[in-house]
Amino acid sequence: MQQWRAVGDERLLQYVVRRLFVTIPMLLGTMSLVFFAMHVLPGDPCMAMLGDQATGQALNDCTHQLGLDRPLLVQYGDYLWQSLHFNFGYSLLNRYPVTTYILQMLPYTLVLVLASTVVAIGIGLPTGMLSAVQRRNPLIDYTARVIALLGLSMPVFWFGILLLIVFSLHWDLFPLIGGGDLSTVVEMIGSGEVFVYPGDFLAAVFDVLHHLALPALALGFTLAATVSRVARSTMLEVLNQDYIRTARAKGLRERAIVYKHALRNVMIPLLTIIGLFVALAMTGTVLTETVFTRPGLGKMLVDAIEARDYPLAQGAITVFTMIIVTVNLIVDVLYAAFDPRVAYK
Amino acid sequence: MALTSKQVPQTLETAGAEPDTVHWQLQRRVRRWRKYVPIALGVTLIVLMCVVAIMAPVLAPFNPSAQSSEYVLKGPGPGGHHLLGTDEYGRDLLSRIIWGTRVSLQVGLVSVLVGFGLGVPSGLMAGFLGGTTETAIMRLTDMLMAFPTLLLALLIVTALGGSLVNEILAIGVALTPHFVRLAHSLALTTKTHDYIMAARALGGSSLRIMLRHIFPNTISTLLVVATLYIATAIRTEAGLSFLGLGVLPPTPSWGNILSEGRQYIKDCPWLTTFSGLAIMLAVLAFNLMGDALRDVLDPRLRGE
Repeated sequence: MQQWRAVGDERLLQYVVRRLFVTIPMLLGTMSLVFFAMHVLPGDPCMAMLGDQATGQALNDCTHQLGLDRPLLVQYGDYLWQSLHFNFGYSLLNRYPVTTYILQMLPYTLVLVLASTVVAIGIGLPTGMLSAVQRRNPLIDYTARVIALLGLSMPVFWFGILLLIVFSLHWDLFPLIGGGDLSTVVEMIGSGEVFVYPGDFLAAVFDVLHHLALPALALGFTLAATVSRVARSTMLEVLNQDYIRTARAKGLRERAIVYKHALRNVMIPLLTIIGLFVALAMTGTVLTETVFTRPGLGKMLVDAIEARDYPLAQGAITVFTMIIVTVNLIVDVLYAAFDPRVAYK
Repeated sequence: MALTSKQVPQTLETAGAEPDTVHWQLQRRVRRWRKYVPIALGVTLIVLMCVVAIMAPVLAPFNPSAQSSEYVLKGPGPGGHHLLGTDEYGRDLLSRIIWGTRVSLQVGLVSVLVGFGLGVPSGLMAGFLGGTTETAIMRLTDMLMAFPTLLLALLIVTALGGSLVNEILAIGVALTPHFVRLAHSLALTTKTHDYIMAARALGGSSLRIMLRHIFPNTISTLLVVATLYIATAIRTEAGLSFLGLGVLPPTPSWGNILSEGRQYIKDCPWLTTFSGLAIMLAVLAFNLMGDALRDVLDPRLRGE
């Protein structure tokens, strides 16, 4: 037994190392793609910054200052090296370090992704499971499938606007723009002031949640469709397994079968879509943050592209892909740890 | 005993009774036709979209770019001059949405063709030939897959600049890795079949086997997925236009109508409501169509 476990651990370690070897070139490739895409841009960032009236001398100075007159390969090497140290240079518009910018915006995006995940699972899991368990009941199955189809077809930016029209403008229940005072919340947690001024802390948390509600609902609802579809098909698969038949044969009630036997086994396959889900959610934040005029990485990316601020855009896209690639790596490793068969393949 | 007699199936007991038979027959007929509702809805919507797109010059009551200072931001109403209202420049919203159908359909169909044309041959080659070809193609695909579709399209459109052609290219390229992956896995399963070995034994070249045997045997699954990706492409196009990176104004596209209307959601919610509705119906139509095609062409994909 002990020996088997040791062999299993070794296999897992080998798998992790192999998976890492795939991830590193992949990350390098995506970063190269981002770099070259941003550098064949037709617009000249100096021209964009200084305007049409700029003299040739000023433009030359600017180009030199930004290091854009260096050979492309040198710039490329520099970008890769600096990115490894999470140094993405300075924003062209306000000379602010891109990394600081990103670190300021990241919490807003992460909170949004987290909250919409909660919404997506809260809506998607029950509807998917219910439509699988009650597939003989057309009323329930059809309602659940219509909800899933609507979620899949409704663009998040449109749903967001509808929510704004109804809940912010008509009923004035939620703020129209902004992301709340998240920095205060983070600072208070960091400095330990949470325990000194719990009242202020709760007020700040409430403010953040108040701003978060509609964006999370909009993004979460559109993502719920994916969760619901996977949950439905996984549940159907699980319900056909022998151990479910055994449970039925034992005379267990349907409720016990669904909650105790099926639900747990549905969770593991659902893990595999987390990678896909995070990718969808991260993209969703680009549109969601723009609709709700909410600070965050996505909004920052769109603003940076509009302003042709390419260190900022480059940094944002790099961080986006880094997050997605890392999450996929973690999911694969976790999956191998849960299900030893994966590592043996 | 009284209980058991109640449990006798209604249909047997009441077979002779006139009203119940009618009811039962109706129920059976409803049940039989119910499964065709989604596909009927999808096909109707798609046909409608195609007609609207082709006949746009005839159907649109106004020139989509014609401005009128008299009718700025007028609300919708059946009695008025403009059925769906007007925008900030007094342009007729209905005409703009009708012309916008062209952009959405064009981008949806052509970008999927681009993705299909680039992705399927590479995927089939990777799966069938294996070895270095497979490694090279699949590693590149994995790399592109790290970017979500919208982000990759955003990156390409940013690099190329916004226009209809660039948008189509960007979305097409962004969809390519998905087609490569699917074609690759389909080729892997198809090539193990006996008839492939038979074709090889008869001296068929790799190219011939791929073209004449593997491709025809994977086409139904590929078509189903392509239909579903038209929905994705239309949604991505709307997203890009919404972010101001799609078709350049004043050409109307649903995304940029929605984006322009965003400033007026307080007083003129019709601008965003109708354009968004158009996007949703289009995406819904292709999703329904894809699901229905899958049930017909490839029941294995249903997940049941």
